[in-house]
Order: sequence, then C-alpha cells, then structure tokens
Amino acid sequence: MDKNFQEEQFTGIIKFTPPLYKQRYQFIKDLVGKYKPKKVADLGCADCTLLQMLKFCSSIEVLAGLDICTSVMKENMHRLSPLPGDYLQPAERPLTVTLHQGSVAHKDPCMLGFDLVTCIELIEHLEQSELMKFPEVVFGFMAPRIVVISTPNFEFNALLPNKALFRHPDHKFEWNQAQFQSWALETARRYDYSVEFTGVGHPPTGMENVGFCTQIGVFVRKYPQTCESAQSEKPTEAVYKMVFRAVYPSLKDEKYLKNAVVSEVIFTAQNIKRSLLDRLMAEHEEYNNDPVERKFQFQPSMNRFSEDLGKLVVEKSMEPFVHGNVVYIPLTTIFSFPKVNRLCGTFEKLCKLIAGKVTLSSDGSAVMFNTELENEEN
Amino acid sequence: MTGRARARARGRPPGQEAAIPSVGAASVQQTLPGQPLSRQQPQQSHVPPSVSEELGGRGRQRVPQGVPQSQDVKKPEGLQISAGFQELSLADRGGRRRDFHDLGVNTRQAIEHVQESKTGSSGLAIKLTTNYFRLTSRPQWALYQYHVGYSPEMEARRLRSALLFQHEELIGKTHAFDGSILFLPKKLGNKVTQVFSRTRNGEDVKITITLTNELPPNSPTCLQFYNIIFRRILKMLSLQQIGRNYYNPNDPISIPNHRLMVWPGFTSSILQYEESIMLCTDVSHKVLRSETALDFMYSLYYQVEQQKFRDVCAKELIGVIVLTKYNNRTYRVDDIDWDANPQCTFRKADGSEISYVDYYKRQYNQEITDLNQPVLISQSRKKRGNLMPGPVVLIPELCFLTGLTEKMRNDFNMMKDLAIHTRLPPEQRQREIGRLIDYIHKDDNVQKELRNWGLSFDSNLLSFSGRVVQGEKILQSGNVFDYNPQFGDWSKESRGAPLICAKPLDNWLLIYTRRNYDAANTLLQNLFKVTPSMGIKMNKATMIEVDDRTEAYLRVLQQSITRDTNIVVCILSSSRKDKYDAIKKYLCTDCPIPSQCVLARTLSKPQSCMAIATKIALQMNCKMGGELWSVEIPLKQVMVVGIDCYHDTIAGKQSIAGFVASMNHTMTRWFSRCAVQSRGQELVDGLKACLQTALRDWYKWNKYLPSRIIVYRDGVGDGQLNTLVNYEVPQFLDCLKSVGKDYNPRLTVIVVKKRVNTRFFAQCGGGGLKNPPPGTVVDVEVTRPEWYDFFIVSQAVRNGCVSPTHYNVIYDTGKLKPDHLQRLTYKLCHMYYNWSGVIRVPAPCQYAHKLAFLVGQSIHREPNLLLSDRLYYL
Repeated sequence: MDKNFQEEQFTGIIKFTPPLYKQRYQFIKDLVGKYKPKKVADLGCADCTLLQMLKFCSSIEVLAGLDICTSVMKENMHRLSPLPGDYLQPAERPLTVTLHQGSVAHKDPCMLGFDLVTCIELIEHLEQSELMKFPEVVFGFMAPRIVVISTPNFEFNALLPNKALFRHPDHKFEWNQAQFQSWALETARRYDYSVEFTGVGHPPTGMENVGFCTQIGVFVRKYPQTCESAQSEKPTEAVYKMVFRAVYPSLKDEKYLKNAVVSEVIFTAQNIKRSLLDRLMAEHEEYNNDPVERKFQFQPSMNRFSEDLGKLVVEKSMEPFVHGNVVYIPLTTIFSFPKVNRLCGTFEKLCKLIAGKVTLSSDGSAVMFNTELENEEN
Repeated sequence: MTGRARARARGRPPGQEAAIPSVGAASVQQTLPGQPLSRQQPQQSHVPPSVSEELGGRGRQRVPQGVPQSQDVKKPEGLQISAGFQELSLADRGGRRRDFHDLGVNTRQAIEHVQESKTGSSGLAIKLTTNYFRLTSRPQWALYQYHVGYSPEMEARRLRSALLFQHEELIGKTHAFDGSILFLPKKLGNKVTQVFSRTRNGEDVKITITLTNELPPNSPTCLQFYNIIFRRILKMLSLQQIGRNYYNPNDPISIPNHRLMVWPGFTSSILQYEESIMLCTDVSHKVLRSETALDFMYSLYYQVEQQKFRDVCAKELIGVIVLTKYNNRTYRVDDIDWDANPQCTFRKADGSEISYVDYYKRQYNQEITDLNQPVLISQSRKKRGNLMPGPVVLIPELCFLTGLTEKMRNDFNMMKDLAIHTRLPPEQRQREIGRLIDYIHKDDNVQKELRNWGLSFDSNLLSFSGRVVQGEKILQSGNVFDYNPQFGDWSKESRGAPLICAKPLDNWLLIYTRRNYDAANTLLQNLFKVTPSMGIKMNKATMIEVDDRTEAYLRVLQQSITRDTNIVVCILSSSRKDKYDAIKKYLCTDCPIPSQCVLARTLSKPQSCMAIATKIALQMNCKMGGELWSVEIPLKQVMVVGIDCYHDTIAGKQSIAGFVASMNHTMTRWFSRCAVQSRGQELVDGLKACLQTALRDWYKWNKYLPSRIIVYRDGVGDGQLNTLVNYEVPQFLDCLKSVGKDYNPRLTVIVVKKRVNTRFFAQCGGGGLKNPPPGTVVDVEVTRPEWYDFFIVSQAVRNGCVSPTHYNVIYDTGKLKPDHLQRLTYKLCHMYYNWSGVIRVPAPCQYAHKLAFLVGQSIHREPNLLLSDRLYYL
C-alpha cells in the first residue's frame, strides 16, 4: 500500500494521504459497512466528526457520543441535527443521535445494548486510574458485540517530525506494539472477547517491523447477546449528562408516514387526472376536428362526451373516469403505483392512513377531484 | 388583463446580481457545450458543492482553497482538537458577507433642515406596538476587541482557536473568535498579553493578544457582534438556518395538493434604531417543496411534448433555489447541463478523480438511482466555504426545490391555500413573535449565554405613538368622493362618475376567437352600458374573429390597424404567455397602439360582468391617455419621478428600469421611458437619459422647467444604498446641470422599500390588536438615527397584517418640511389609476413597476416613444 504515504526523505517527513485521522474514520465506516450494527457508540467523540460521518450509514438507528468535555462536543453538535432534507423526505429507518457528557471510567445504563463501541485515540488520554476501570466499563458493563480501540504506536514516533516524546501534550502514555497487544489480549481474555490487530498508516518500505502509525484492536464478543434479564441485573444510576438529542424524522413514525402517503396519493391522483383529461381532450379534438390548441382548458361542452366515456369505464373499477365535473380515481389504481405501494404495504393501511385527509367518493373507493373548480381560476 | 394584474406582478427581490459582472459566467460558457463524460481534465471549477470532504451541516470552516494541503503537511495527525472552544465565524451571520442593513451610510448629516428633527406633526396620535424588542446591556458595558497574533504564523483557523483556548483560565469561557479577532466581555489585565501554547507536533507557539478596541454598545462592530450572538442563540434553540432566516422544522405545515411544505420561522436583525438598540423580528414562512428537482423534471416530462421538454425544463428550473439533501445549503440554479450525468467525474481537492455517484455514496451515503439525469449548474458568485467562485455541479435527485415559481405564484388556488397558513392576522402574528422572545427567556442555555455577555432582551414588544394623517379627498370632474378612510377604497363611490379626461372610443378593434364570440359580445354590450356616465364616447368596435393562434392574432393586427385606431382589445382564451407577449411586443414597439387583453374567462360570469366592464373601461381610458381622478396637490412646479427595476431572473441577463415622471400639476399625466441594460452595465446611465427626456417633455407641456424634482426610487436591494448615494444621486445632479446653466432645481431622492420586516399593530378597545389604518405615519423609535426616514401605512388589507412602506430620503435640497414630504408621499399613493383605492407605494413607483414588468416579461426592449405620454403599460 505504497500509495498511502509519501516519503520525502527517508528520515524526513511522512505525509499520509488521505490524512491519518480520515483513514481511521474510514476504517470505522468500513467496519460499519461490514457488520451493519444498529446501535453505535463513540467514546471520546470530541467534536463529533466521526458521528457526523456515521449518521449517513443506513444501518445505524441509534448513535451515541460520549466525551468528558461538553464544550468540545457543543462546538459542532448542531451538525448532528436533522437537515431540512431529512424532514422533506423522511427516511425509512429511524435514527436517534444523543451526546452525553461523562467519563469512560463510569458506568451509565444509557450505554447498554450497543452493537459497536468505538474508542478512537481515546485510551492514551486516560489517567492510570481511569485506564484501570476502562475495561470493566466497556467490556464488562457495556459489553457490545464489537469494540474498536485505536491508539498511537510509539515505535512509529521516530519516523514523525514531532520532536516531543508523545504526539500530543495531553497523552498520558503511548504504547509500542507489544504493550498494546498484551493489554488488549489480557482484556479480551478476561471479558471473553476475541481480538484482532490491525492499523492505519503504513510504515515505509523496509521498516515494516515498526508497525502501523495508528494501531487498532478489533474486539469481538465470543458469547451470545446478553439477554434482557442479564442486563437488568446491572442496575446502575445514570451518571452521564445528556447534552444533545436529535430524533430524525422517519417513516416508522406514523406522523411522517401519514404525511408522506397523503402527499404521494394526491400527487399520483393528480397525475392520473391530468393524463386522463389530456387524453379525453385529444380524442375530443380529433372528433371535433377543431384547430384548438392541445392544452386548452377542460370545457363544459365536453362533459357530455366524457360522461359517456365515464359510463363505459365505470364497470372496470381500476380505470379512472370522469362523471360530470368530477374525476374519480380509484384507490386501487393509486395503490398500484410502486411508490404508494412501497409506502403503505397493504391496501388496508393505505385506506387507514389517508382517512380524513383526502376527498374520497361516497363509498370510499376513489379519490375525487372537481374539474370545474380548477377551471375557474387557472 | 385583470388576471395578470392580480397575479403578483413582481420579479425576484432585486438583488445586486444585475449590476455586477459575474466572474464565473464566462468560464462556464466555455466549458459547458457538449463535453459528455470526458470532463475529467483539469476542470477544477466543476466540482460538487462540498468537495472538501466536509461533513453535513453548515460547514463553515473558512479556509482558502489550497491551504488545507499545507496544513496537512504540518499536521499529519489530522485535526483532533480537544481544547474546548466555541466556534464563531463572522460568516455565522448567514452566509454572505454583504451588509444587508446598509450600516454606515449616513445620509442625514448632509441634509441641513432635518438635523434637529425629522418628524412630522400633522394627524391624530395612535397607539402602536411593533415587532421590536429592546436589547439592553449592563451599565458601563463594553465589548473588548483583541487582535490575536501567532508566532510562528499558524494558518488554520481551528488550530489558531485551539491554541488560543488552551488558555481558557485567562480568557474565560465566554468569547467569540474568528481566527484573528477576539471579542471578550471582560478586559484582560494587560493591554498586551503573551502566552505560549504547544501544538500537537510539540511546536511552541507564542500568542500575542493585543487590545485593539474598547467598543461602546452602539458601535457598528458591536452591532455586527450582536447579530452573530443572536444567530448563535437561534441555533441553540434548534432552529434551522435557511438562507438568511431561521426556521422550525418540527411542526411543518404540509400542503399535499401542491407538494408544498411550509416551515414557520423568524427573521431577525439587531440594529441601532432612533432611541435604542433593538431586535426586529418577524414571522417568516419558508416554502419548501417535498419534491426533488428530478421528480419535478419527470412530472414535467410527462406534461410537455418531447421536443419542448428541455426548453420548458430550463425555463422552470433556472432561477429556482434548491436545497441540497445531504447538507444544508442553498444554490440558485443557473443552468442545466444536459450532456453531463452523475457518472461524470471530477477532480477532488486532493487531486484524485471520482464520479459524482461514488462521491455522494462515499461522502454522504446518498444513493443516486437515476444515472442518466442531467446535472444542474450553479454559479457561485461569492466565495463559499473553501469553494472559489465558479460553477458548481448539483445532482437533481439530491436537490429539493424551494420557494415558488412564477407559475405557482400565478396559480390562484395554490396561493389561496398557502395564504391560509402564511397570512397571519395582527393578533396571531404578535403571538408568534412573542413566542420567539419566550423561547429566549425560557431556555437556560440561551439565558446563560446572554448573561455571560451581559446582554438581555426586553420581554415586551416596543410600544409608542404614531400619527394618522388626514384622509385625502378624491376629486373627479367637480365631484368630491366621500369614502371610508379605513378601507382606503373609493371604487363604489366613484362608479359611473364622469372622468377628468375621457378619451373617445371612435375607432377600435375587438379581436376574439370563434369560441369567445359570446364573451366579446358581452364585453361590448357592457361597455355600452357603463361608458356613457363616465363621459366616454363610444362607437361600436370593429369586431374581428381570429383563429386561436399567435400568428393569426398578429396577422389581424397588421392588417386591421389604421392610423385612426384608438385601441385594440383582444379576448384571449387562456393565460398563455406567448400569445400575450407577442401581441404586447408588436403593439408596444413596431406598431405603437394602446392595447387591452382580456381573458375570456373573466367575462364568463354574468353577475360580475358590469363591474369588470367598468374596470376595463377605466383601464382602456388610461391607456389612451385619459385621466381619472386627482387629489389636492398644494406644491407648485414640482415634477415627481418614479423608478423601479425588473430583473429578468429566467434569462438572468438583463435588467429593466422603469421610469415615469409627472407632466402636470395635478399629477394625472405621466411620461414614461425605460432603460434596458444587460448584465454588467450600470443602470444609472440609462436613467440619466430618461430624466433628460422627461424634462424636455415637461417643458413641451408646461413651457417652463420644474423648480422641484422629487424622485421615488424603488427596487433598491438590501445593501445597495451606498451605491445609490455615491453614484446614482451625483449622476442625477449631473444630468440637471447639463440642462442649462441657470437651471438649478431642488432635488429630493427618496428610496422606497416595500419589503421590510417592520410591522405595526394598532391597539383597539378591549386589548385586541388590529392593523393600523391607512395614513399611519411613523417617524420615531423604529427609524434610524443616521437617516431621514419614515414609514407610512398607506394601504388597507383585508386579511393578514398590513406591511408598512419605508421611505428613506437620501438626498434633499428641497427643504420641504418632513411633514409636507410625508403628506405628499401619502397623497401620491392615491394616484394609481389601476386601483380605485390607496396603494402601498406612491403611484409613480407602481407605474414604473408596471412598465418595467411589462418590458421585462413580454417586450424585452424599449417600447416606442410615441406611447410615452400614456399609461399604456397598465
């Protein structure tokens, strides 16, 4: 993977393309793509950059962020809010994004039941005492299916232009490969997880033994999903403070589904009506041989003609028809349109969802439009 | 054509686009034509909207393109800043860095006679409340402005912030920092403070924080700052920013019949007003459409013939503002590239090549399903984020349409459905406005933020007293009409009364299609009934039947018009624009004859036929040079000028300035001209010529030149005031000088603004609120101290809230008392002949608007000057 970095001089500056932090996020994104977790938590989410990327991943329904510092989360947290587009076209999947202020050394029930927990460049910021509690909180208490932990590889530092001991002044330690792996293996063993090691940021050719610039451990729980009862055995009080919560509009929510269905039904019906009237008009023109333009308004003189036609098609209940000034578009026809069909699933559900919102014929089988009303003002 | 007149005859809000040559325009012209799929070459300019790998939301990291690269070299670890700081960018103001409030344009200081007072005196006092809240600050409040320097120089703004806020104990939790300017509510111990921070690379950076300014509450910088803080607050309230305003997406009103969604929201601005700094906030409604540009294209595809599809599509979409699905940005569609599709590739900032499909998939997980759709092109004129000005490519499937198209505005049903939700009566409007201030007062975080800055808002709307000036008597051939000033309408009272000047219909054409023979006859019969009492002598029209085709109409016009023809009346069977345009174009340019188009449908209801015939008769009379009524004008030798602009948003190419000038003392006759100028040309050059001709014509009529000229200038966009003061006014003066050595008339230039956020509510008995009556004048409290300005509510509205018109006198050597100028302005609002009532703006503005609209919409070049003494454009 030579393309992942450029060497200017062998002992000189190493530049990663794309930047290393992006590679780390991409790694998580790929993992999400592979395992399709529904509930994902990012511990040490900082300015929520990873969460912002993950909110676009369609498998995720619950997304939580945890950080010790509120202000850094607040900086960009509004980017986690739904966008106008999310309201205009609610997604199929539900999504709730929450941010919590708290420490990974403390247990809070809001972190239970997750499929994936990520700790990107987190552990090296922990004090010794916090690091001691960390495995019990994440692996013992939260016990998600997958845990991803990334941390700097101390051995790689020699290749970086950084002259300081650690890469960041706030780092309490930086481990070499052996240190990280032994910690990880021990943790995995104790909490019944398997662990695989990988990383991002390849070392230069010939120096492979240095290892990745960022080392990553992917932990997978060996025992099956903790059942509900097991979780309830872990009664803990809430200690995290919720700083942000956004519920995305979703078609799972009846309110949005109703709106979407009504809107789609009326739109579909109007399309059918227009093409029906156009067709009638065209036939009428031929019949009349009148050199009027194709798109002139529906005229009262036509109604007699269309009434006949209406009688013709009235038997075939699938066909829309015109009767007097009223156009009838059977719900079954509308239901046969893929978009409506996909939204409602069943015909019964369609009827239920549009009840009271769309003008129907007396027997409730067709959408009604009055053509005269429109003629007046168009 | 009454249907047309009723439609909101208005272009887009006059922006500045027209006058400023677009930087990107030329480049897209070169790159666009037919480059299917192979657009991979160094087309740096063709990029999707957010190429910087920026994530959703309003990414507002203002870094010039190119810089991120170097920044990455320095920081291979990327940017994971853990130091807490609150991002603040001056761009939080809402996108563009234009000054919408025309701050710093101080025109009053040059107008001698209003130094002491600019208020009028006549009329009865009225108690008003308005949508303003006072902003108060602690006593001795000041904002401390610091310059922050870095050594060695740090480029990235985020890095600069992170380094600075490593010293939070020094700076405090409350701060606003844009990368070099730091605002603090407190004063640091020393004038110059030096601190050291360490980057993640272990580099030590010296930061020098220097006090540069101690700003009093009303300094312009402070005002800017308040607005930034207020936007922060709105964000804290989870309101979504769209364009300049903030909206609440949680309770949208959906109008499925038209696929519309309306979001309630607020406009807001904090400014220094007459007595105090205030927040002006109004209810705003954002109309969004729950269909994407692609949906729209598809439904259009099924509606029009195939060969016309691209043209129609371009016509409908160009000029529309779209909202992208994946982030919260709006773009104006400037072009459609039919040769491109989502599979085309572009070059990312890092140099790699990627197709749009892959880009959106990777970046936003947005699946593009239609791979054959064309792409939309938006010319960004200003720098947006790290995008340089230039064309931006948008995928129709990922763009929602917003706002209303001209076609939708003309759809009466749609507008009716919409008005139910958007036109709030005074009490409801006040309640909604109060809701915002409630949110602010009840939200702990917001209160904390405000407290930290030492600011707070009044909880009550501002109340004060305005004046209602005396109603105007309408004079018409010896009659004086007594009408109810509350309604501002004398159509009933004046019906059938003789006109001041009636033009005979000796020789006129009535053109109709076979289908509309009945309608034509109805019109004729009714005109015979209504004209005699008005004093209009009428012969039977020459009735001509035509085929319902544009060419047929034109042929008939060419064949039948003679030198004696007074006017041509055409009955049209549909509101199709092309026919109307062709008729108007021919009769306004090649063959200058007044014309009247009537929709057949308008004449179809027997019960309203008489009323409609009356209206048409009046309109026809005006178009032939007749005069209807007048009001008392005490000023002598004054020429009133009205100017308005029309910006052709569809073609995006030309702007039209309509210019009208009164020709007689009673202001019943108007000279008109218009200036058509293409993009980049200055409007004012054309206006100079207009003024010259107007003066020549005035002289012809009156045998002397006016000693006073009052210009009502409409169509001035937000932030354009400076240009007007520094460029347009001097040109007017120049033009007057060129007339003659001893000619030195007094000149008054008044900027007229209809689109203001100010609302007034009158208190009625029992604590309720209603609209203030026509004639309400406000020249205190909510006006600006640096301007000679006032508000007049001249019109009456039946539903919703009346919107006052703002008048800003930017130049005045006329020395008229403010009271007289206000009265004259109000009088002129009575003089628009197409409406027997008071209108929102002085008649010359509305005439100028009608003229510019007709030329911009239908004629596209300057009408024949033979028509210039008549109101042919009504």
